[in-house]
Amino acid sequence: MTAAINLGLALLIGPLLAGTVRKYLRARLHSRQGPPVLQPFYDLFKLLGKEDLRSSPSPVVIYGPLVALAAVLGAALLTPMGTQAPLGQYADMIVFAYLITIAAVATVMVGLSSPSPYSAVGAGREIMMHIVVEPVLIICLVTAAFKSEGLMMWDMAQWYHLHGPTTSMIVAAVALLLALQAQIGKLPFDIAEADTEIMGGPFIELSGPRLALFQWAAFARQMVYASVLAAIFIPWGVGLAFPLNILAHLATVVAIIAFVGLIDVVNPRLRIEQAMGYFAGVIGLALVALVLAIAGF
Amino acid sequence: MTGTGLLISAIIVLIVGAAITALVAKHRLASGYVAFFAALIAGVWVTQLAFAVLADGPVHSASPLLYFPWLNTALVFEVDQLSAVFLLITALSAVCSTLYSIRYMLIYEEYSLARYYPMLLLFFASILSVLSVHNLFFFIVFWEIMTLTSYALIVFAKHDPEVRQSAMIYFVVSQTAVVLMVIAVSVLYLHTPAHSFAIADFKQALATMMVAKPWLAHFCIGLFMVAAATKAGILPFGFWLPHAHPAAPSPFSAVLSGCMVKMGVYRALLVLAVMMPLSAATAVWGVLVALFGTASMVIGTLTALQQSDTKRLLAFHTIGQMGYIWLGIGVGAALLPTHPELAAFGFIAGLFHAINHSLFKGLLFFNAGAARYRTGTRDMDKAGGLMRIMPATTAMAIIASFSISGIPGFNGFASKWLIFESSLLAGFHMPLMVFLAIVAIFISAITLASFLKFLGLVFLGSLHIEPTVQRREVPASMIAAQAVPALFCVLFGVVPLLPIRYLYQAVAATLSSGPGLAFNALFGDSALNITLRTSPGGTVGAWGALMVLAALAGCLLLAYLISRIGRSQTRQVPVWLCGEEHPSAEVRYPVHSFLLPFRRYFKWLYPSVGIPKLPRFRRG
Repeated sequence: MTAAINLGLALLIGPLLAGTVRKYLRARLHSRQGPPVLQPFYDLFKLLGKEDLRSSPSPVVIYGPLVALAAVLGAALLTPMGTQAPLGQYADMIVFAYLITIAAVATVMVGLSSPSPYSAVGAGREIMMHIVVEPVLIICLVTAAFKSEGLMMWDMAQWYHLHGPTTSMIVAAVALLLALQAQIGKLPFDIAEADTEIMGGPFIELSGPRLALFQWAAFARQMVYASVLAAIFIPWGVGLAFPLNILAHLATVVAIIAFVGLIDVVNPRLRIEQAMGYFAGVIGLALVALVLAIAGF
Repeated sequence: MTGTGLLISAIIVLIVGAAITALVAKHRLASGYVAFFAALIAGVWVTQLAFAVLADGPVHSASPLLYFPWLNTALVFEVDQLSAVFLLITALSAVCSTLYSIRYMLIYEEYSLARYYPMLLLFFASILSVLSVHNLFFFIVFWEIMTLTSYALIVFAKHDPEVRQSAMIYFVVSQTAVVLMVIAVSVLYLHTPAHSFAIADFKQALATMMVAKPWLAHFCIGLFMVAAATKAGILPFGFWLPHAHPAAPSPFSAVLSGCMVKMGVYRALLVLAVMMPLSAATAVWGVLVALFGTASMVIGTLTALQQSDTKRLLAFHTIGQMGYIWLGIGVGAALLPTHPELAAFGFIAGLFHAINHSLFKGLLFFNAGAARYRTGTRDMDKAGGLMRIMPATTAMAIIASFSISGIPGFNGFASKWLIFESSLLAGFHMPLMVFLAIVAIFISAITLASFLKFLGLVFLGSLHIEPTVQRREVPASMIAAQAVPALFCVLFGVVPLLPIRYLYQAVAATLSSGPGLAFNALFGDSALNITLRTSPGGTVGAWGALMVLAALAGCLLLAYLISRIGRSQTRQVPVWLCGEEHPSAEVRYPVHSFLLPFRRYFKWLYPSVGIPKLPRFRRG
């Protein structure tokens, strides 16, 4: 039951969020009409039916996209979305962080297996972004772990709900929000794909269903990462009755994604070294949060 | 045969095997088979003994084999649970590396194998002996034999001046370490009540010295730890390692990383957990070990990212991964006086990573060796895309790389996870450990990057080899030697509690103060899913490997179903290069460009001193 809810939220709300943000926020800021709300679904289903063109016979390219989507869905099963996650008692924050890494690994391996040099460039960028962004997630979660004296994500949410806002958790939430922009591949950090520059990076040689799987994984990843931020650092809906807690969680996620979308619209893409410099700063901010937590704030 | 009889027979078989291989060395294949069967028989006996010890407790030989009355010392073989763990590592490493050598060593046509197989078998015999004496006199004797035979094996390809220089660095560094150990042992020997070399007496001597002359006691412990760190490849003492590993023949590089550097871990554990009396000073040594471990982890892994030679890259990662093991052990020792249950996590994590590292790093050296065997080069720029011609080796390389980078479901994740958990949980009492854990997690992401580069350039991508290279997979014996560790990598990744259960017994038996809590109280009641607890009731961490992996498999099925909704057709097409035509060699992404912005931007992370170089001892 809860497993179905989490998978459903990741698979359906992800594209829907992308559709609404694109329609209402992005298009309005550009003073244009924008596509229909369900456009991401139309795109996905169209791609799923299109011909699958393969420029490399490598099994990595053929099965990589499946692994990417499966890893994100697996991570969705470990993410508390308003209530304890379906597999919450079987995995802690470290397992979550490493499981969702598999999606990035699949992207990079597909990119490196493809004969196109753009693809290798994109794969290299994907790794570099991962190296600088992953520590932010870990340090923020460790801050929460330090507060709740345990590494289980749902315990962190419950602790924060009970003990109210603390300085360290607020700083950590800000750091994680800044990292979220890159985790879900939005401007100014869509450096790995960079459509206008390296034509989709690791995805340049993909088409049809395999491209659809990667896109769907990216949509679901938005939902998963935003859920971690919402569930652990903004857990105002914890303890409400069944549909309400999930709705409260969704409201927070929508607000977060809208904020991320806003930044996406008004920023140009950074170069990779600018982005790394920026995230070195965000890691510093996250470390401040951790030090505050250790000092008892 | 039971008890130490098994061990002694195994050592005899290895020595006899060494003699036979020396005699038949002209028949290159035959001597390989002799060495393999000697190692196989010895390995089976040692495994049988190790499991008996882990199940029923320590054994020792009834009567001494040698007795030196003038030194008051006797050679008695004694195997306890801790040495049983390392005996298992050695047995597997010996069997796989000799099997791999049979075919691999044929490429060294200009060298006589009389300098290889006998030395290799004597080397394994000396390691078995080092692990089963509880007497520091014979410990040093066997340790020295191990060092000399390993030197002979590293210098095997002696016509290459670089090999000779690397081997000389190794020789000088390890002999210096032995001298340090001899000094420490001599000082302690003079302080033992009955003038003996037994570890039990040394423990007593250290306890009285701690009170009477604490500075001398800590000086001796320091010498022991420096010697252990040198063997283990912990920086700044282990700088021989990135020189020696590429110089040695690949199967022996696998043994160096998989087995010999673990002797440093064994030595450190003996000092920290067995010989040193438990006091507040134990915590200080633990913190030092953890700090040195973390420093090696950072320097080793970041330097690895710069390499374009496969075996050099792997050697620097050995330094990095040994850093993880030392972090685990350091956390264990740091919390031993105050929180024995967290200390147990740390020690178990360190030992588990030692086992896993010997599995996946041995395998990685076999992979790199297979690439070298087929293409004749270790340069990642000169040969790549080997998946097309070597699919089985590529599959093993993917398993090994996923293991070392900590992908859930592989053994490296299980032990790294336990190291992160133990240092994070330790951090609630000792905040320094939280920061070390975060560094470890950051470095684990860099390890992942480095191995994606290794996989991507050597195995994935489009085929890029010299036209003279044979387009075939490596021989079956080399694949079998890779398949065994690969199998264990997956098994220990899916069912981590299987080895952890044995390691708990080893740690519980080794620590004089005990592990604090019973196995089920620490790791949960389930046989398959780990739930970490430090107090009854409260779960602080969990890795339900089987549950999560089953869910992942379900998600994979779901993803497959989604991909088939549209029932799309597939078609092979040429790669699109923006309308221009280039041969694949021209558009290849070279290894030195890979991750260049990261290495450039984070230059300040890299140590400016670099790895110190010794002067040339012999002119090439």
